[in-house]
Amino acid sequence: MSDALSEREEPTGASSGLLANDNLVRRIGEVVAGLFLAVVLGVLGWTVFSEVDPDLLQTIFPRFVTAYLLVIRIVIVSSILSVSAGIIVGLARISSSPLTSNVARGYIEFFRGTPLLFQLFLIYFGIPSLWGTGQFPISDWEIPAAVIGLTLNHAAYVGEAMRGGINAVPDGQMEAARSIGMSRVQAMREVILPQAWRNALAAIGNDQIILVKDTSLLTLISVPEIMQVFRSVNSATFDPWTPLVWVCLFYLAVTLPMSKLVGVLEARADWGSDRKSLAKRLGSRMPGGGTS
Amino acid sequence: MSKPKPLVEFVDVNKWFGQNHVLKDVSFSVDEREVVVIIGPSGSGKSTLLRCTNRLEEVQKGEIHLDGIPITDEDVNINHLRQRIGMVFQSFNLFPHLTALENVAAGPTKVKGVDETEAYEHAQELLNRVGLGDQGDSHPNELSGGQQQRVAIARALAMEPQVMLFDEVTSALDPELVGEVLDVMGDLANEGMTMLVVTHEMGFAQEVGDRIVLMSEGEVAEVTESDQFFEQPRTERGERFLSRLL
Repeated sequence: MSDALSEREEPTGASSGLLANDNLVRRIGEVVAGLFLAVVLGVLGWTVFSEVDPDLLQTIFPRFVTAYLLVIRIVIVSSILSVSAGIIVGLARISSSPLTSNVARGYIEFFRGTPLLFQLFLIYFGIPSLWGTGQFPISDWEIPAAVIGLTLNHAAYVGEAMRGGINAVPDGQMEAARSIGMSRVQAMREVILPQAWRNALAAIGNDQIILVKDTSLLTLISVPEIMQVFRSVNSATFDPWTPLVWVCLFYLAVTLPMSKLVGVLEARADWGSDRKSLAKRLGSRMPGGGTS
Repeated sequence: MSKPKPLVEFVDVNKWFGQNHVLKDVSFSVDEREVVVIIGPSGSGKSTLLRCTNRLEEVQKGEIHLDGIPITDEDVNINHLRQRIGMVFQSFNLFPHLTALENVAAGPTKVKGVDETEAYEHAQELLNRVGLGDQGDSHPNELSGGQQQRVAIARALAMEPQVMLFDEVTSALDPELVGEVLDVMGDLANEGMTMLVVTHEMGFAQEVGDRIVLMSEGEVAEVTESDQFFEQPRTERGERFLSRLL
């Protein structure tokens, strides 16, 4: 077996030169990756060691926790709302009614085509001003404004992802569902949407992680979130590095569980063992690493 | 014994795709318990006619009747009528997110509102009948093409249709898997199911088919008893079609 393998790894043509040797390419890759890792760890270690103030780190920790908990709450609500609304936008986008599909299209073009910050300002500053000075009935408007802005914006992206996911389901699925007597709506719900959801899941997960990072813009409409804490600590101490450590870690503490969740949902939507058995089959044909 | 009554009737059926006149005055009927096989060269309108029979395509002129009911009438409840017409597709079109058993039970539970336990028992019987009793928990992507097509037949049968439409159901299969699907169809014919079959499998057409409908360029060229057709077709077009097969 190792003979057969080493034969297969012979360079196949003179034209590809050095890069024809798979093992050599692999080694070069490892050297580059290793150097990159060393530089990053070195710079990071040195900076943290020389720039970060351990006492301040401890003092400001509770403030970041408070901001983190607020961000988590905003993210959960906006996520649920934007995915739900996005599914509806996606369905509206593929509607056979020109009115419905064009309205959905206009919605998507507006919220994808203008900056989120503009939309947040529109909601946070624009809407209360319609009531006249001091007349707007909702106090602490920044939190609802934040949720509304994030939801409307990301529903547009989720809508586009769902449209793509629906279009990727073969026409035969709708025909098969109709042929056993399902109505269009029934076929959508029972047959098309479960498949469209799987198709769109990676794109939707990607968008929801962007939503988390978009919460950093909320500092500009006075939401006491993570960046707000950074700005406040930095302007009081003139020490950027110490609060930035927390900023980085707390954002990752939202996004990493989130991508884990997306992975779990994707695995659950992976009906049948096709992919797993394919991986197994490929795995058995690929002897471990380049050790042979 | 009374003369068998026509279950499906095509009356001067015409269809256009844009400028393209794909079905021209198609008229014939399928009796109860009869197997009619539609053959003809590619592009002769065979599949289109079949798809018109459960309104996956709309007919522009003419009528199709099922048991006396005009399928092509705009006012009929097509969702209701389709439950009486089983259809099996060339590309199986099983629902990939459901197991084989769930595929078969989907129609009865979701459309007919049959009780789950009852529907799943019946679905299991149908899987047994197509020789896949032990594959109920498999998803379509874990089954071979032949197995998938047999599940698709079971799915259509689960609605207890009056007539079954088969649209080139073996064309997408590896040659060694064709037999198992044709066997199931043969059994179904023996049990007295009314069937309208579009196929290129001439052996099946001759053995199982009662009558042959030869289509050519959107027209019915001839309708002949299958034994007679393969012995001596009535028309010159029939002769030409058979001679090309040899």
